[in-house]
This record gives sequence, C-alpha cells and structure tokens, in this order.
Amino acid sequence: MSAASLIAREEWRVLARNRAGLIASALLVLLILVANFTSLERRSAIEADRERYQASVDESFDAQPDRHPHRMVHYGQFVFRPLAPLAFFDAGVDSFTGNTVFLEGHRQNSANFAEARQSSLLLRFGQLTPAFVLQTLAPLLLIFLAFASVGREKERATLKLMLAQGVSGRSVIAGKLIGHAAIALAVGLPAFAVLLVFAAAGAAEWGSVALMILGYAAWLLLWAVLGVVVSALAGRPRDALAILIGLWMVIVILLPRALPEAASAQSELATKIETEIALHRDLLKIGDSHDPDDPYFNDFKEEVLAKYGVDTVEELPVQYAGLVSIEGERLTTQIYADAANRQIASESEQNAFVHAFSVVSPLIAIRQLSMALAGSDLSAHYDFLDQAETFRYDFVQRLNRMQAELLPGIEGDDPRISAAYWQDIPRFAYDPTDPFARSQNLVWPFAVLLGWLGALAALALIAARRIERAAR
Amino acid sequence: MSAPSIWSAEARLLLRSGRNLVALILLLALSSAAVWAGIAEVEHQHATIKRVEAEQVRDLAAVAEANAGPEGDAGYNAYYAFMLTQGPPPPLAFAAIGQRDLQPYVLRVRALGLQAQLYDSEVYNPELALPGVFDWAFVLIYLLPLVVIALGHDLVTGERETGRLRLLLSLPGSGLWRRRVGLRYGAVLAALGLPLVVGGIVMVAPVSGIAIMLLTAALYCGFWFGLAMLIGASLRTSATAAATMIGCWIVLTLIVPTLANATIARTVPVAKGIDLTLAQREMVHHGWDIPKEETFERFFVNHPEWRGKEEFEGRFHWKWYYAMHQVGDEAVAADVAAYRASLARREELTKTLGFVLPGVGTMNVLHRLADTDIEGQLAYQDSVAAFHKSLREFYYPYLFEDRMFTQADFRRIPRYEARHSTGTLALGSLGALGLLGLLALWLGSLRIARSGIGSRSKGRGPGMAAFGKLAEITH
Repeated sequence: MSAASLIAREEWRVLARNRAGLIASALLVLLILVANFTSLERRSAIEADRERYQASVDESFDAQPDRHPHRMVHYGQFVFRPLAPLAFFDAGVDSFTGNTVFLEGHRQNSANFAEARQSSLLLRFGQLTPAFVLQTLAPLLLIFLAFASVGREKERATLKLMLAQGVSGRSVIAGKLIGHAAIALAVGLPAFAVLLVFAAAGAAEWGSVALMILGYAAWLLLWAVLGVVVSALAGRPRDALAILIGLWMVIVILLPRALPEAASAQSELATKIETEIALHRDLLKIGDSHDPDDPYFNDFKEEVLAKYGVDTVEELPVQYAGLVSIEGERLTTQIYADAANRQIASESEQNAFVHAFSVVSPLIAIRQLSMALAGSDLSAHYDFLDQAETFRYDFVQRLNRMQAELLPGIEGDDPRISAAYWQDIPRFAYDPTDPFARSQNLVWPFAVLLGWLGALAALALIAARRIERAAR
Repeated sequence: MSAPSIWSAEARLLLRSGRNLVALILLLALSSAAVWAGIAEVEHQHATIKRVEAEQVRDLAAVAEANAGPEGDAGYNAYYAFMLTQGPPPPLAFAAIGQRDLQPYVLRVRALGLQAQLYDSEVYNPELALPGVFDWAFVLIYLLPLVVIALGHDLVTGERETGRLRLLLSLPGSGLWRRRVGLRYGAVLAALGLPLVVGGIVMVAPVSGIAIMLLTAALYCGFWFGLAMLIGASLRTSATAAATMIGCWIVLTLIVPTLANATIARTVPVAKGIDLTLAQREMVHHGWDIPKEETFERFFVNHPEWRGKEEFEGRFHWKWYYAMHQVGDEAVAADVAAYRASLARREELTKTLGFVLPGVGTMNVLHRLADTDIEGQLAYQDSVAAFHKSLREFYYPYLFEDRMFTQADFRRIPRYEARHSTGTLALGSLGALGLLGLLALWLGSLRIARSGIGSRSKGRGPGMAAFGKLAEITH
C-alpha cells in the first residue's frame, strides 16, 4: 500500500474518532435530506397549483359564449409556467420571476405574482434547497474538517517524523487530499443519490443529472482541496481556519451579493412604462388606421384591394377591419419583440458582468451551472416568455382571421360567431427547455471549476515542496 | 495607572493585533461600500422616476391632443390616459433597501378595473435580485457577527493560551473584561455606524431614524458580544470558541431563517392573487354577455348617485363600460381581502420569528422603519387604489351626464401625489431584540466574571459545541 493511501486512512481514522465532526457531518447530511424532502414537496405543490390553474383557465376559455372574435382577443389566455423536474434541486430564479402571464391582443403583459414579491424579506436569507445546502453550507463543513489536516501534523511534529522516515512531502499532501476528497464526495452522496433515483425513475434526463453530479463534485472537491492546501501553507491551524473562513465569506456570501450592485450600475434597464410609451409613439409613427388619409394604411388598403381584385372595401369577401387588426397585431408584435430583445440584451450584459467574476468567486460558476441544468435559470425563463409570446401571436391572429373571414356572413349590429370556434384555438403547451441547447451556459462554469481545481493542484505541489523544505 | 491611561493602553493592545485591525478596517470598508451602494440604488430609483415622469408628460400631452377638445369624449380620454403613480424611496431606504429592488415603484393606472392593473410587475433583473441586496442592513445582519467573532472569541482563551490569564486575574483593580469588551464593542459599532451617519447626513435622513437604526445595531451587536463572552469563557481554546461561534452564526442566519421561510411559504399560500385576477377577468368579460341593466344595477349598489342616468341609445356607451369594470373590481373584493390577509399573515409570522431570532428581528425593525418591506408596498398599493377611486369619480360626471371633455378638463384630471413614508418603529420587535441583546450581554458578563474559576474547572459551554469540539479535537 502506498504511503499516500496510508496517510488518507490515518486521516479518516482521526476524523472518525472525532465525535463532533461526525455529528456535524451527520447534521449536514440530514439537512440535505430535509432540503430534498421539503423542496420536492414544495415543487410538486407549486406544479400541481399551476397545472390546476392552467386546466381551469383553458376550460373557461372553451366555455365562453358566442362572441365577436375581438372580444376573445381581449378575454385572452392565461399561461402558467410549469416547473422543471429538477427545480426541486435548485429553485433558481423561479421565485423571482412571475410565473403567470396574461396574453391578449396588442399588448405584452408582464409575468406576475412572483413568490419573492409576495413573501416577507425572510426569503432573501435564501431558500432551503439541496443546492443551497451544497453551495453555501457544505463548504463550511469541509473547511472545518480539513483546516487542521496538515497543520496538526506540523504542530505535533509528526510531520517531521514522517518525512524523516522517507515519506515524501508529495505523499503526505496526496494522502491528505485523497482523504478529504473522499469525504467531500461522501458529503455530496445523499444529494447525488436523490438525483440518480430521479433520473432512474425517468423524472429527469440522465445527461442533466450526470453533469449536475459532476459539477457539484467539482465544487465540493474544490473546498476539500482548498482546505488541505491552506492548512499546509498557513502557519498554525488557527490561522488556516481564519483564512479559510475569510475565503468562504468572500466567495460564498460577500461577492455574490456585492457584484450585482456593480452590475446594475453597468447598464440601465428601461421601465415597462417607458417601453409602452415609446411603443405607442412608434406605432403612431407607422400610421393610424382610423385616419382616412394615413399613407401607411392607405397603401395597405390598396394592396388588399389589388389582392382580392376589387375596387372598394365593401366589395371585399372578408371584413376589412379584421385585416387591419391582423396587420396592426403584426406591427405591435414586432415593436414589442424589439423592446423585449433590448431588455434581454441589457439584462444579459449585467449578468455577463457578474459571470465574469466567477473566476474569483466560483460560487457563481456552480450556481450558473446548477440553475441551467435544473432548468430554473434566467435563460429558461426567457424561453418560457418567448414560447408564450409566440403562442400569443398565433392565437390572436387566428381570432383576427376569424373576424376577417367569418364576420362578413353575419347580419345584425352585434355580430358574434359560434362558441364552437373557441375549441379550434390551440392551448398553450410548454416545451421544456433543453439545457444542452445553450451549451455555453454549461461549458464556462465547468471551465472555471476545473480551472480552480487545477490551480489548487499546482498550489498543492508547492505546498508539498514547502513542507519538505521546512522539515529539513 | 490612571483610568484614562488604562483605557488607552487597552486600545493600543486591541489595535496592535493585526487580525483585530484588519477586521475593524474591513467592517468600516464594507459598511461604507454598503451605504454607498444603497445611496447609488436610491439615486437610481429617483432618476428612474424622473425619467418616467418626463416621458409621462409627453405621453399625456399626446393623449390630450388626440382625445380632448370641444368634441372630446371622456370615455376615450379615460381609456388612453394612463396616470402615473410613483413611490419614491423613503429617506431611510438607502440603509435598508428591502424589497425595493423587486417591487414596482412606478405604476400607471387608468380608470379601468384596478385589480387587473395593481399587481403588474416592473422590469428588474431576476438573476441580480436572487442573491439579495447588498446594503447596510446586510452588513449589519450577516457580516457584523463575523467581525464580533474575530474580535471577541478569544478574550479569555487567548490570554489563557499565552499564559497571561492568571496574572491578569490576580492584578488588583476590576473591570478588565468590561474595559476590553466595551472597547471592542465601541470600535465595532463605530466602524459600522460611522458610514451610516455620514450617509444619513448626505441623504438628509431624519435624525431619529438614524438613531433608531444605530440603537438596533447596538442591540444586535450586544447580542453577539454577549454570546462571544458566554462561549469564549466557557470553552478552553480559541479555535473551539471561534468554531462554536461560527456554528451559532450559521444556525441563526443561514439555517433557521431558510427553514422558517420554507415553513411559512407552505403554511400560508398566497394563491388568492391569481384567483382574484382570474375572477375579475370573468366578471368583466361576462359583462358583455348579460343585459346592461344587470351591470348597472350592481354598479348602483355602491354608486346610487348615478341611478336614473344609465339610459343610452345604441349598443355601446362608455358609462356602461366603466361601470362594468368597477363591478368587476367590486365582485372580487372578498378575494382581494383574502389575498391581502395572506400577505399580512406571512409578515406577521416573520415578525414573530424575529422575537426569538435576533437577525430576523433586526431585519424587521430596520425595514419597517425604512418602510421598504411588504407593508410599505401594501401601503403604496393602497394609495394607488385611493387614487384610482378619485380618478373614476372624476370621470363619472362626464360619462353619466354626457359632458364634453375639453383640454381644460384634461388638465383637471387628478394627479397622484406620492405618499409620505409610513415607516414605523416596530416597538415590539425592537423590545424583543433589546431583551435578547441585554440577556446575552448579562449572561456573558456573568460567565466571563467567573472565567478564572472556569479556567480551573474546565467549564464547558452549553449546546452548539459541535463545531467547537470538532475544532478542538482536530486541532
């Protein structure tokens, strides 16, 4: 058996004798399990709620009586964002984004009823998910287990003894690293097991689960290695502990909070009000369909008349107002889409600023990776909004076409079409996002985590040389 | 030695330690950065409001131009004239931003159904909101305890480890610990509070508000120093004491609040918000399919003054349209009340939790005082609702009496007046925090006074020793 594995075993033996260490580890594992349980339960409750709401609004849409199609354009549809299966593991931004959007004609409404807006400030302390425990608390446990790993041997002079017996500094460090790396993986094990069960049950993709486990393994290893390296480089275990807690505080607590402040100063987000006002102005610039002398809509009328081969609007086989609605919807949608893209661009710019600092604070990397794989990141939310908007445009235009094509055949001053037509309008079916479709969201965080591990490995080599020299 | 020179000697001793100096400078820097960030955020919100107001003036001018005049119809004007409401940051918001990064502080409403407008979101970046805001309240609640731990965990153990403890205790005179703790307490509070005071002066914040914030900080800080004395005097080594205190900090600021939040979210659902929105939509759209008299009858229940003026020719009249929207709002009044009650219940549970958790209690006192919590947001919504009522009532005479809507009438449309901050002193929460702080200080000073005895009898601290023992054994 090599010296390194002997040292690793000895490290486990020492730690296994440490009742408090075992209690703390057991508590953390318990917390991971509690977080899994409450978070799963919470996810299924939210999911059931949203499904129930979606079914009930779909039903009421079908149940609407005979109406003018334009009334249905404004009756609109509500869509609810389904939660991704792995959102129990990492709730991501779900609590901070509205999860229901009211879709109607010529307006893009905001996603409303975000949980964070309806909770007390307690929510800002964090949400109890397995991701929170693994990202925030597990590193502290690993620090407490590892801070004295090498320093203890130094203080008791056992290190000198080992080196005198011909054990190389590298073997000592390697042994400690193996010991604490195994502990780090063991700490993550319960969470990984839950993920694997989830994948085996078919509730989540194997690919996402595998990468999630790899990512968190890298994250936990990073702290174990950091603990050993600092323990080897620092003077006394006490100093190592202070340094490690300081690092944890900066990396896990301080930077993730402070960086967004700097990022929000990077670029200004236009308010919804400004966007609406600008949009209204843009629309007026294009033209006013009520103005008989409006050049844009006069051209549009000429085109329509030419297309149908008639001379006047009255001769058209379709309702002209319906055609104007279709054209108007096309124009407003374009302008709204431009505004939405601008907003996404500004937000992405802010977020990219924060992500760039993941090199300094790898928490940002693991958080990004975890949210992306769980399908609860901002990209997934954008994707939902995008799908909802596509769906909105489609159903509004269907209703507009109904108005153009069906109304001319109906007499009376209150023309309505049969309620049977409402069943022809499709219902929203959300197509879950594939995290692998946006692979840059995965590659960069992985690169950062591996880069940290690589850098720490280099430091470990330096530490090995240092303890050898110090012993001589 | 005379009394002042003992103090200055102790102060020199405190600052000679690299760790203490670094911790204090760090706290000063973080507190300054947080106050600066808070001021930047508040300025940003003011600037946004100004920008929106300027846009709004142009927009209203265009609406008036297009719709008001000798032939103007109040119905069109009411339909197109969105009126701006704004909730500028209260004077103390810079120190405790609270929910102001998520909750809208500009919202436009028109005379249509309020319940379909009141819950709209404004644009914010969810990913930036996710980790929580970086403000003075954050530095106080999260980071100050760590500085206290750095400065206070080895008061007794440090002296014992260097072998000075017995000598110190055998020296004549009293008040050694009082001086040392008092000095550290004062230094920490100064490093934390100075930037707040400067920020308060810059932002022209009320002196009483800043004073209460400082008092809150003093009590919270007292709790942690009390704990530091209690733990530091009960454990044998500095590492054990530090680790035990970190364990306390994790439990009090990371674990219990998140557990409590999960429990509160589970026990108090807030789905009524969606319910009322859906119900209001059904009501309003149902109005198109029922006889207009029915809608008017419901409308007259609360607006009897317009009875007898509902007749009109043709298929459509704006007075019916606005009456229908109002009836939709009134129909969901019970749901609205239930929704508000669920939000209030969540606040109340959080407040109760704050009675036993000093961090949560501090959070509650600061944000209630700054008016940046849910209660502040609800007060803003109330003021918007009151404004909406005045807006409707302004239009009704034009609609029901078929009056023309001229440019002069447009200028008379009521404008929203920003409400005054409704920040209040949460006496109960502050009292509970005071009790916790003083209790910890009292117990701590009792314990530390017996530290000489403790050092001989190897006293053990109660509870929370898991991390401490761990550090001791691995040490």
